[in-house]
Amino acid sequence: MEQNRYGALRRRILASMILVPALPFLIVAGVGYTYFMASLQESTLSRLVRIMEDHKHMIESFLHERQSDLRFVADSYPYETLIQRGTLRSVFEDLSRKSTAFTDIGIFDQHGLHVAYHGPYKLAGKDYKDEAWFKSVMEAGVYISDVFLGYRGTPHFIIAVVKETEGTPWVIRATIDTSLFSGVVETVRIGKTGEAYIINAEGRFQTQRRSGGALMESDPEALVYGRPPRVVRTFTADDVSGKPYLYAFTGLKNNQWMLVVRQEKSEAFEDLWHSSIIVMLVAVAGGILIVSIAFYTTNRIVTRIRRTDSEKKELGQQLVFAGRLAEIGEMSAGFAHEINNPLQIIRAEESLIETILDDLQEQGALKESEDLAQIRDSLRQVHIQVDRCGEITQGLLKFARQKESCRQPVDLHVFLPEVVGLVKRKAGVEGVSLSLDVPDGLADVQADPAQLQQVLVNLLNNALYALAEKHGSSGGELALEAKSTSNGKVLLSVRDNGSGISKEHMEKIFTPFFTTKPVGKGTGLGLSICYGIISKMGGTMEVSSEQGKGTTFTIVMNAA
Amino acid sequence: MELKLMLVDDEVRFLETTQKLLSRKGYHAETASSGREALNKLQTQDIHVAILDVKMPDMDGVETLREIKRRFPLVEVIMLTGHATVESAVEGLKSGAFDYVTKPCDIDDLLVKAQSAFEKRKKLEEKIRIAQSRAYMKSPREILKQFGES
Repeated sequence: MEQNRYGALRRRILASMILVPALPFLIVAGVGYTYFMASLQESTLSRLVRIMEDHKHMIESFLHERQSDLRFVADSYPYETLIQRGTLRSVFEDLSRKSTAFTDIGIFDQHGLHVAYHGPYKLAGKDYKDEAWFKSVMEAGVYISDVFLGYRGTPHFIIAVVKETEGTPWVIRATIDTSLFSGVVETVRIGKTGEAYIINAEGRFQTQRRSGGALMESDPEALVYGRPPRVVRTFTADDVSGKPYLYAFTGLKNNQWMLVVRQEKSEAFEDLWHSSIIVMLVAVAGGILIVSIAFYTTNRIVTRIRRTDSEKKELGQQLVFAGRLAEIGEMSAGFAHEINNPLQIIRAEESLIETILDDLQEQGALKESEDLAQIRDSLRQVHIQVDRCGEITQGLLKFARQKESCRQPVDLHVFLPEVVGLVKRKAGVEGVSLSLDVPDGLADVQADPAQLQQVLVNLLNNALYALAEKHGSSGGELALEAKSTSNGKVLLSVRDNGSGISKEHMEKIFTPFFTTKPVGKGTGLGLSICYGIISKMGGTMEVSSEQGKGTTFTIVMNAA
Repeated sequence: MELKLMLVDDEVRFLETTQKLLSRKGYHAETASSGREALNKLQTQDIHVAILDVKMPDMDGVETLREIKRRFPLVEVIMLTGHATVESAVEGLKSGAFDYVTKPCDIDDLLVKAQSAFEKRKKLEEKIRIAQSRAYMKSPREILKQFGES
């Protein structure tokens, strides 16, 4: 029942101790995590996009420059001059100085006849009239082919530009070694798995792909890209092997090519994972901290409450006990007083009878006889018993109504040896070793010395009685000690190694008429009177005992 | 002059027995079973020492004592008390009682105290007589005056 109550209390406190800080903590952590992740993802993507745009720009300007080179040649030299032997060669050399990308250069007339050529192959004189590129360039005015390996085995493509001289169109064509820009594209490395490549409209690789995909092969993922966008687009998709990739792609060369940058998603977002792990760890650590603080604090609170409760209970018991004693006191005072009246009458009657007997004897009406002696003996007994009753009622009244004590500072260094002196002889006779310990510098107590002496002598006598009962004529130890308490009071203790007090007796020990002595040996009022005296003087009196080991009476008095 | 006692107690049997006892011992004792009765008897009879029980119904011992001292200042009073009323006995002493005896008491103890109270009373009366006779000797007219007044 009791345990349940504290258990429920504990659970309630614990729940609020955890929930109150945990809720805002989780909200902050969650919101922070979301924003942090979003910005990290953003920056990962934008890095991809930046690389993409840089390369797009580079490739497009490369193509544009080569195209401009040809356009410049076409514009600078008349057709006739160009087809003259040797001219093309010097033009090629000029171009080569500007860019090493050119591998050959040729001039075609309007019918597709290769009229002049400079390069490593013998192509002059060939007819290209039906070639697809020739048709395209005649239509569009400029043509850039896809990359191919051709006879040369190196990736290259051609650029052709149409020029009209006096109404007659002619074409200047150059072959471009792509190694220059494809090298740049192929060597793009983002982390371990980040790569860049170019595919054409048919999905064939225009540059090698590091993770697999030779030149001119079909990109197995080409389908997922969809139509090339004008701006950079990013998305995630699984490749053929099922690995999720983060893709960024954009159109090149009027969307005939596509530049693709991709990175394995797990790597692209590696920082993200790291961060989320850190965030998780922080959250877990925070959670553990909150929970352990909650546990610690709850334990402390519950322990405190439990202690307060038990103190309250103890205090309540003490109050009940003190109240009971006070009640008994009131009752016994009334009782004693009521008994005193009949006692007084008995005493008067007894005196009267005695006086009458005396008178009769004097008058000679009564002879000395055995009967008369018996009557006199009985009367004496009546006298003795009335006295005895009187003592009892006096004791009761003492317990109930202490005389106003006249308190004064009492120096224990002087007082206690006097008290010990009073019982020393008796202790000596009973073979009890009596010790006294009063530390130097002990404060005086505020007490009525006569009453305090009465109490201490009573306690010492009780102890001597108990010791004689247990140890006979030797082995008894009795100690009277004084010391200061932590809260500035003075503690007096009377400790014996007698037979101790049983638990059921402990509860009644200060109750009037409670005695373990045989009938006639004690009234059972001594300890209750002591208790009354000490209470009246503003002190407290307690007893602790272990059966078979001994008993300690403790008196706490106010210091003077 | 012979000691004249008055016992005041609400226990009638105590009064009767003690009265018999006292008369056997050669003392005359009036009895009264309440404070009021005691005051009435004091008005009509010359009592030297009154023995007053502290605890009585209606008018208690201390009250009666005060009234006696107010109206019959020469009457000496001994308080008879249970221990519980020692405080009231002290109060009684402060209000002019001669002494107190705790119950149950021996008649002889009571008589000893009554005797000394009576001695005090006699001394006091003696002093009063001397003081009066001095006054008469100084001015015999005082006597005439007194007679005139009465």
